[in-house]
Amino acid sequence: MTKAVPARTTRVVTVGGVLRREEMDLVINPLDFKALQAADYAKRYNGGKLIAVSMGPDFKVKPLLSELYSHPIEGVDEAIVLSDRRMAGADTWATAYTLSLGVKKALDLNRGAVEEVLELVESGASGEKVLERARELYHANLLPNLVYTEKPGLPEGVVQRYAKGRATVEEVREALLKVRTELERFLIVAGLKTSDGETGSTGPQTAEALSDALGRKIPDITHVVDFEVDAESGTLVAVRKTGSYLQRLRSPLPCVITIMPDYRAGVTPVLRRKRAALYSYRGKVREVRVWNADDIGADPSKIGLAGSPTIVGPGIDIGGPPVQKFVGRTRVFTQRVEAFEFNGKTYGPFERFAKADDLPEELVRELEAKGLVKRFDLRDLLEEVFGGVLVAAKH
Amino acid sequence: MSSSQQSIEVRIEGYRDVWVYCEHEDGKLTRPTTEVIAGARKVADKVGMDVVGVLIGYNLGDLVREPIYYGADKVIYCDDPRLKDYQVLPYTTVLSDMVMQLKPWALLFVTSEIGKDLGPRVAYRTRTGLAADVIDLVVEDFVMNLPTGRYVYKDCIAQVRPDFATRIAKIFTPKHRPQISSVRPGNFTPLPRDESRRGEIVRWEPRFDEDDFQVEVLETVRVPKSEVKLEEAKVVISLGLGVLRDASGRPRNPREAYELAKQLADLIREKFGVETEIGASRALIYAELKELEGLITKDRQVGQTGKTIAPDVYIALGISGALQHRVGMQRSKKIIAVNVDPNAPIFQIAHYGYVGDLYEFLPKAIEILRSM
Ligand SMILES: Cc1cc2nc3c(=O)[nH]c(=O)nc-3n(C[C@H](O)[C@H](O)[C@H](O)COP(=O)(O)OP(=O)(O)OC[C@H]3O[C@@H](n4cnc5c(N)ncnc54)[C@H](O)[C@@H]3O)c2cc1C
Repeated sequence: MTKAVPARTTRVVTVGGVLRREEMDLVINPLDFKALQAADYAKRYNGGKLIAVSMGPDFKVKPLLSELYSHPIEGVDEAIVLSDRRMAGADTWATAYTLSLGVKKALDLNRGAVEEVLELVESGASGEKVLERARELYHANLLPNLVYTEKPGLPEGVVQRYAKGRATVEEVREALLKVRTELERFLIVAGLKTSDGETGSTGPQTAEALSDALGRKIPDITHVVDFEVDAESGTLVAVRKTGSYLQRLRSPLPCVITIMPDYRAGVTPVLRRKRAALYSYRGKVREVRVWNADDIGADPSKIGLAGSPTIVGPGIDIGGPPVQKFVGRTRVFTQRVEAFEFNGKTYGPFERFAKADDLPEELVRELEAKGLVKRFDLRDLLEEVFGGVLVAAKH
Repeated sequence: MSSSQQSIEVRIEGYRDVWVYCEHEDGKLTRPTTEVIAGARKVADKVGMDVVGVLIGYNLGDLVREPIYYGADKVIYCDDPRLKDYQVLPYTTVLSDMVMQLKPWALLFVTSEIGKDLGPRVAYRTRTGLAADVIDLVVEDFVMNLPTGRYVYKDCIAQVRPDFATRIAKIFTPKHRPQISSVRPGNFTPLPRDESRRGEIVRWEPRFDEDDFQVEVLETVRVPKSEVKLEEAKVVISLGLGVLRDASGRPRNPREAYELAKQLADLIREKFGVETEIGASRALIYAELKELEGLITKDRQVGQTGKTIAPDVYIALGISGALQHRVGMQRSKKIIAVNVDPNAPIFQIAHYGYVGDLYEFLPKAIEILRSM
């Protein structure tokens, strides 16, 4: 999961507290690159595909996701933007709901492709027919090399062997069921938090939303510093920080993790490369997909501003400026001065170090001449701060 | 707005009390938890409700009384061997069930690894809002002007959090209950622990689902505690990128600024008997200067993505005062800013300003303090 955030935090456009992403320069949230790195590592280790999912106005987000295809982190295969005017103004609740439906749709698409071929084979379709459909689905990036491939250096896919009479129906079915099982064992990776919202809530909430969408509880692990994921056994082992402890956890897949900024991806063991290649897909689908609320079957009352329990109130300033004294500039009393009259007006009393700047200039000059007012210096500063505050604090 | 438009008062009925999810380690409440209890107290007293401490764990023993000693009126606890270690699924189930059955008006977490995991999941499951990283809680009405009228949601919590867009934002959860927030450490002062306080203590019997225990804790190891105690120090002296050059623009060895700041900190500690600590801006930490290796470390960062502190005295040396820095230190009782640039934003919130070179300020201040 990745988010487009304002490029410069000093030029943020909001209307009534709602970010107007469509009116700003956006970049990929910096911490999301850690998430991409982690997902890329999981892919190099297991095969499968890396899908970048984002929510935001498509015309802004699409170009950013397109760039991911040529990013030094090699692995991004597909990119999906969930974009709809009705999704605007979403808080983390509505965002998690929307993202979970995007994930579910991506999962359904991939599973649907595998099941389609499975049904074809089981209905006794000719090898030629199965092969043709498998080729289409392979080119749509929906079947892994294990099932069908045109990649040089890889063994023929099971459907290709089946068409040549070199694999049985049973073998095809077994391979497809395995692929389907592994599809269900997906991993969702999120950055620790975004540079705009800074909440860090979307990861855990997406796990909760996905639990609703899939009808079973999906765990999440936040603040992950290191992990290994094995699609074969369907488990994830992750190290996370909680308070003064590091926990090492084992979770089944699917699971949602959020990655700490200091995570560093490891090197893939050579042993895993063959497996990873077989379970990988044709590769980058350069067209960024855009799905709207209807495409993902979202309940309009649960997305965007309408679906958000929180509302951002008007921004406020925090506290007025303090009474300020500047060394070498501010004029202050050198000692306690009782109340006195000047030009028919009463002034004071004044404590030592009280500011004299706001008094009439004429009066200040007179007080200066008498040595009762002077420029605030560093010694005064230290005396006022440490002589007063701390000595009092000590008792 | 037309005068004919009427005000419609909305009160969400049926929810009571301010709950605090109490984190504990080694048989003690964590300090941030005691701070949040104080924050809850402030809000609860405003609306005439109780503060309820919620404890989840195993072999809690006497710990169940601690929230009351720190200012809660009541405790609800769940003690079960399967809850020995923090785990998001069973903890979410227990806490969400409590919330759905007992209907609290507000639920506060500490902003911590646990609060930032459990809080969001409970908020999602109970279909309510969550404000993360809150620095203050204020009770006020929330007004929404709609074409159909002016809706006044009575007595909501304005959950105040830093927001780059608008300096400080107030987040409201007007229509849903409980109002859930995670509160950043360092923003409330814990109430003094008082063992004579009494309150009701209620045990909660959990009901789990099969799939609450999918995740297994293989190992738990303690990470060495940071020696840096920014939150506890009475005087914090922080360094920023200004250490790189002196006022004339000549490059300086940042180590020199560090040593001088350290001398000043030690001097203040000796002279006045208070804890002192060295802090830093994120820019200085991220600069990863060789000269400051092992000295200016991440655990010294003050600000939005570092620590929020409120010492008696905060001295900002060569720090511009970006908002992200300010939200971490603006509650300090006395702020002294030292900067060559008179227009640096840090001066807007400083009580004392020294427009000048930190390389000049430090030796002078040390000398004067020695003579005091
Ligand atoms: C999402 C996000 C989170 C962030 N979180 C934090 C955070 O938690 N904490 C944080 O600090 N920052 C944070 N920042 C970064 C923040 O925006 C600023 O970039 C940073 O605080 C600047 O650090 P600085 O003041 O040391 O450096 P600068 O802004 O470069 O300021 C250096 C100052 O030193 C002055 N100076 C130069 N030479 C001297 C001298 N010889 N004597 C005296 N003064 C001198 C200059 O006039 C200048 O004002 C965050 C940013 C983002 C985007």
